[in-house]
Amino acid sequence: MGLRWFHYVLWGGLISGMFLLPQVVSNGTLRTMIFANYLAIFAISWDVLSGRTGYVSFGHPFLIGIGAYTTAILTKRFDVPVEISIPVAVVVTMIAGLLVLLPALRIRGSYFALVTLAFMELLYQLVQVIRPDLTGGTRGMSGIQTLTRGAANGYYLSTALMLSVAVSMWLLMKTRIGTALAAIGMNEESVRGSGLSTTRLKAFAFLTSALIAGLGGAFYVHYLGSLAPRALFDINFLFTIIVAALLGGTSTIIGPMIGAFFMTFLLEYLRPVLPGAERYFVYGAIALLLYMYQPKGLVELAQRGFQRLRKGGLA
Amino acid sequence: MLQILIQGLLLSGLYALIAMGFTLIFSIGRVLNLAYGAYLMVGGYMYFWVSQTLGMPKLMGVAVAALLGVLMGVLKYRLIVKTLKGDHVAVEISTLILAVVIQAGIVLVFGDSSKILLPIVPGVINVAGASVTYNILIATLISWAILLGLYAFVRLTHTGRAMQAVSMDAKGAAISGIDPDRINLITWGISGALGALGGVFFASYTQLSPSMWVAPLIISVAVVIVGGIGSIIGTLVVAHIVGFLEVIVVATLAPELRGVFTMLLIIGVLVTRPQGLFGREEL
Amino acid sequence: MTAALQVSGLVKRFGGLVATNDLSFSLQEGESLGLIGPNGAGKTTVFSQIMGELRQNSGTIELFGQEISGLSTPQRIRAGVSRTYQIPRPFGDMSVAENIRVGLMPDDIWRMIVSRPDTDREKELALSVGFSETDLGRSPAELAMGDLRKLEMARTMATAPRVMLLDEVFAGLTVGEIAQISDLIQSMRKDGMTFLIVSHDLPALEPLIDRAIAIERGTMIAEGSFSDVMNDTAVQASYLGGV
Repeated sequence: MGLRWFHYVLWGGLISGMFLLPQVVSNGTLRTMIFANYLAIFAISWDVLSGRTGYVSFGHPFLIGIGAYTTAILTKRFDVPVEISIPVAVVVTMIAGLLVLLPALRIRGSYFALVTLAFMELLYQLVQVIRPDLTGGTRGMSGIQTLTRGAANGYYLSTALMLSVAVSMWLLMKTRIGTALAAIGMNEESVRGSGLSTTRLKAFAFLTSALIAGLGGAFYVHYLGSLAPRALFDINFLFTIIVAALLGGTSTIIGPMIGAFFMTFLLEYLRPVLPGAERYFVYGAIALLLYMYQPKGLVELAQRGFQRLRKGGLA
Repeated sequence: MLQILIQGLLLSGLYALIAMGFTLIFSIGRVLNLAYGAYLMVGGYMYFWVSQTLGMPKLMGVAVAALLGVLMGVLKYRLIVKTLKGDHVAVEISTLILAVVIQAGIVLVFGDSSKILLPIVPGVINVAGASVTYNILIATLISWAILLGLYAFVRLTHTGRAMQAVSMDAKGAAISGIDPDRINLITWGISGALGALGGVFFASYTQLSPSMWVAPLIISVAVVIVGGIGSIIGTLVVAHIVGFLEVIVVATLAPELRGVFTMLLIIGVLVTRPQGLFGREEL
Repeated sequence: MTAALQVSGLVKRFGGLVATNDLSFSLQEGESLGLIGPNGAGKTTVFSQIMGELRQNSGTIELFGQEISGLSTPQRIRAGVSRTYQIPRPFGDMSVAENIRVGLMPDDIWRMIVSRPDTDREKELALSVGFSETDLGRSPAELAMGDLRKLEMARTMATAPRVMLLDEVFAGLTVGEIAQISDLIQSMRKDGMTFLIVSHDLPALEPLIDRAIAIERGTMIAEGSFSDVMNDTAVQASYLGGV
């Protein structure tokens, strides 16, 4: 699989660093880190599908929301234990992923992005009117069972989840499936012309992406303890996920992770300067400029800087 | 029944106006301008600021809003669309980001809470048992006038015909001496103005809020997708399908479901007939 | 003996235009057939129908006796027929080796994940089309047209075809590159590969084929040895008319 010694060192360093962090930082920082962890999971999920295959999803909150709502309804309304409700939520999300796959079999590019956006808005409207006794209607739900108490425990859980998703996706994408999915993003016709069924490959990408989205959504709602349709099926939320993946660098696993942490902490540091939603103004402007002039993301930028440094050092 | 007919006609006229600017861009440049909804919002807020905060004449408010729309369209073409040279997905992602930036900008200037726009033309008229505000009636009439004007412009003027040529075949048009860049710039300007004007009327029909841009964007998207690649007639027809669908759902099912069928229409058409119901037509 | 490729009564219409008009020909295993005709004669359309990228309106396509008209493009490639494109379509952000890797992949997701890429075979294919070992890590953006065609050949060969369709393999190549690709085709012919070749470069095409057919506006106008076809009055008229 081409694992090299520095891969072990870097991942080992990251994992131990992240688990030692609660010893040195405040609870407030840990809470920010928790959000960054979940955002990283969502961004990885988006990237596995959109970053690789080029099928840009504008509807990821749709998948995340299905995972979150499923487990929330099961635990709160039917007293199902989380050990069962979370796996069920993941499976339901994967079924929903197949629903999104259907249009992708016929259309791509702009049209696909739009149809996923329509899926998100559709669910937003439906969740408010269909069985509000279950979904909590417009106001959403609160008092959902939480899995952890205290910032440190929440941090450990989210970190463990995020790192296992990241490592397993990183390993998976290093195999030939990662190459095949990326090939679809570059030229789908040539993939078919190489004798590979792109339908099956796309189905795999959609299911994997949905699995991660459902897992992330389910754990996230059991961390928050509440959910509201407007916060979940929201273009701002979608925007945060996509920008995290793009900023870090798509088609890498580390990119969306870095992007998620960069975004979360940027928002956090802007908070004292610009309280409220105005932060998105600065944040969006930075994201837009970076995207327009550095479309390959921060990871690529760092790599190039590193190479230049090395060349400079040798000269 | 008659009430549904009247309300459907009025709403559809408004939707046609809203969708027109979006269709134009799609037809000429084949790009989806996801910040289009933000034009509407900025138009609405600009009118609000000029006419209600500054207390200037309403017509002045409408004019300032339209001018700002032109400016936004032109700037966006120059700074974003041209820079990204035809990479459709990149244009869509960056216009989506831009929409969020504009939304945050509106919050920054006008605050988070929604604002009620006074009717542009106050008063109510009773048509066949249905009460109709002059405001929406005027909005619909103006919308029809603008659409007719646009149709005449595209058919009869030199620039309009050049736009048609670019929309059919950009390369061919360039060979026959049309500067596609200039045509694109003009189209983005017109689209911006239409968006801002549509926004003034849309805001007076609903209300002003920093998240008001999503609904008209979805409507525009539906019209473009269901109608196939933008023709003025196709836009008009589909705007009526979407408008009537909404009015009928609100009257017979539940008001909360108003957008559901629009969304289902988008999904259904894209999955079954990706080329749209009316296929490829000229402008 | 069953033919390697048997095309019978193929018809393809685009609206009122007949792109392929009742075309029939066959290729024996190990044979190399040239498909010639002026621009717009419908040569690439024939390729697309054999590969299933376009569906014919009527007619049959048999590969080693198996009717393949109902199969998808990937299925046809698995059945043993593969093509190159007039305009090479590499995966832009991948190295030469990774481009070939895609062609070598099994159409089975599980095996893609659990088994390693066969880097020896990747190298072997790359070297066989004339790349050097240092080229393996290069990206298509750095390659000249000749190298892109070689890459296209290598990726097509990676799918282990028994019949190869080559579309304008010499377009945009230097004399040296033409010689290189010709040598490659000749050595594959010796190994028993079956070819259907489209080319405008008739002098380069001649030594590579056993037989030729000429089409004009989708209709076959001549069939036979290369010199017979070239001396056919209808062919000469169509070339003069087409130029």
